[in-house]
Amino acid sequence: MKNKTRFIRLWATLSFLLVFGTVLFLFLYVFSKGAGAVSWEFLTQSPKGTVLGTEGGILPAIVGSFLYTAIAVLFASVLGMGTALYQVFYCRRRKVSDAISLIMQCMAGVPSIVMGLFGYSLLVLALGWGKCLLAGGITQGIMILPFIEVRAEKAFREVDSDLLAASLAMGVSRSYTIRRIVLPQAVGQLTSAIILGGCYAMGAAAPLIFTGAVILSRVPTNLMQPAMALPYHLYILLTQGTSPANAYGTAFVMMLLVLLSNTIATFITWRKLK
Amino acid sequence: MPKTKDRLWHLMAAMLAVLSVGLLLFLVAFLLHQSLPAIRAVGLRELLLGTEWRPVIYQDAPQYGLFHMLLSTVYVSVLAVLFALVLGVGCALFLACAVGDRLRALLVPYIDLLAGIPSVVYGFVGLYVVVRTMERLGRAAGESILAGSIVLSVMILPYMISACLHTMVQLRHRFEGVSAALGVSRWYMAAELILPASGKGILVSTALAAGRAMGETMAVMMVMGNAVTRPTLLGKGETISSLIALEMGTAEVGSLHFSALYTAGLVLLVLLLAINIGFSLLRRKLNREGVL
Repeated sequence: MKNKTRFIRLWATLSFLLVFGTVLFLFLYVFSKGAGAVSWEFLTQSPKGTVLGTEGGILPAIVGSFLYTAIAVLFASVLGMGTALYQVFYCRRRKVSDAISLIMQCMAGVPSIVMGLFGYSLLVLALGWGKCLLAGGITQGIMILPFIEVRAEKAFREVDSDLLAASLAMGVSRSYTIRRIVLPQAVGQLTSAIILGGCYAMGAAAPLIFTGAVILSRVPTNLMQPAMALPYHLYILLTQGTSPANAYGTAFVMMLLVLLSNTIATFITWRKLK
Repeated sequence: MPKTKDRLWHLMAAMLAVLSVGLLLFLVAFLLHQSLPAIRAVGLRELLLGTEWRPVIYQDAPQYGLFHMLLSTVYVSVLAVLFALVLGVGCALFLACAVGDRLRALLVPYIDLLAGIPSVVYGFVGLYVVVRTMERLGRAAGESILAGSIVLSVMILPYMISACLHTMVQLRHRFEGVSAALGVSRWYMAAELILPASGKGILVSTALAAGRAMGETMAVMMVMGNAVTRPTLLGKGETISSLIALEMGTAEVGSLHFSALYTAGLVLLVLLLAINIGFSLLRRKLNREGVL
């Protein structure tokens, strides 16, 4: 009996230390190796060199990534929040609401590469948009839609129900109640959902391979143009280029963005708890 | 006036909901439509169980067997889930039982950082650390199923941990008072009460993590070598998602090869939908029984 307890204690402690160390290692590894490659020029120049990307910087990938993410977040938050509002405040039948939840659950399980296939055949081929920012952004948007919808629904359900009932009982319209009571109370959680969803979209390369990302060194000027994105740039550098330094630099920038967005999102959640 | 406005909001919310829900149905229908030519020409049986994948006509007729890719996908995912299970359950038990609420509130977002790291970065670090280490240990080529599953296990850890932790923290609150009253040590409580009681919670988190693992593309593609052969632990392998990512760009639009790649996507999708629906039903059932 004593031995079993001791064994389990040892196992749990070791597992925790290993996981803790892995997180630390991943960030320290990328930060320490990548710090040397990142400079002002690296962030503000286009890729150069005979094999593109071995010299020069990653500006088009940074701009591209932000644009893709902006489109994705816009698309997913309009659809996701609308769906969540419907589920929580308008849908009267429990079964319908359950069905929406199940479908969102299933959608969250669709692999990113299959999303890419779907975006490719629908947006790029069937609608004839070609590879472009809009197609890539919307494909990523579909990918993060369930992520945002689930969190928005949770945020709406946590709104003070007494306040809600009081407002409706006084004859205040549902839409006014939503605007003046629900949204202000949920805004923190919605923001953190959007930040984390954006971070998720920014890191995903698989949906962009066929829908938007191309190896070119220009900064996009309109939505129907293709554009490079950070994760795909890193992938290309690793498979084709011969420049580990720039690959580390690109990874450094992405890890920094992850750390930043997660810290902000955590901070918002904590502030709400206090 | 407020009445019309109210109706407008209702209508808009309903429309957005229909659109969101419609997207999934549309996705399944589209994939099915695109894969029909291959299913008709090759046959589902040959697609699923055929072991030869030679999509481009070279000397003899092209062949479209997905069996080895399917096997690789399952192989690497099962292995990754096993690794993640050992580490994740242990780590969750530690977080649930050994630390207080305040420290836990700090450690959970820290571990959740793992979920935010882009897949490509995992592939990158995997290539430079895991694959290189295996080569240093004497393998000619470090790219292998084992390398893929190690990288993958780290990627699914945060999902595993947070799902297990959720159950275990509730159990801790339930048993804490009684255990303290009986003078039982904290780790005895963890080993004899919390761990056995969280079995079903662990099962649900395993299903969730397995779904994640099977759909992963970039990281796995970068460390597994991508050779279409029968997968072995230390040999190379190619998963379904890698196959799509690698060949879609070069497949001629409308060709049989193109359609076969959609079939590969469809197979993966059906597999994951089955896992997800099963998982949701299981969770709903457990919720009703009050074990989660």
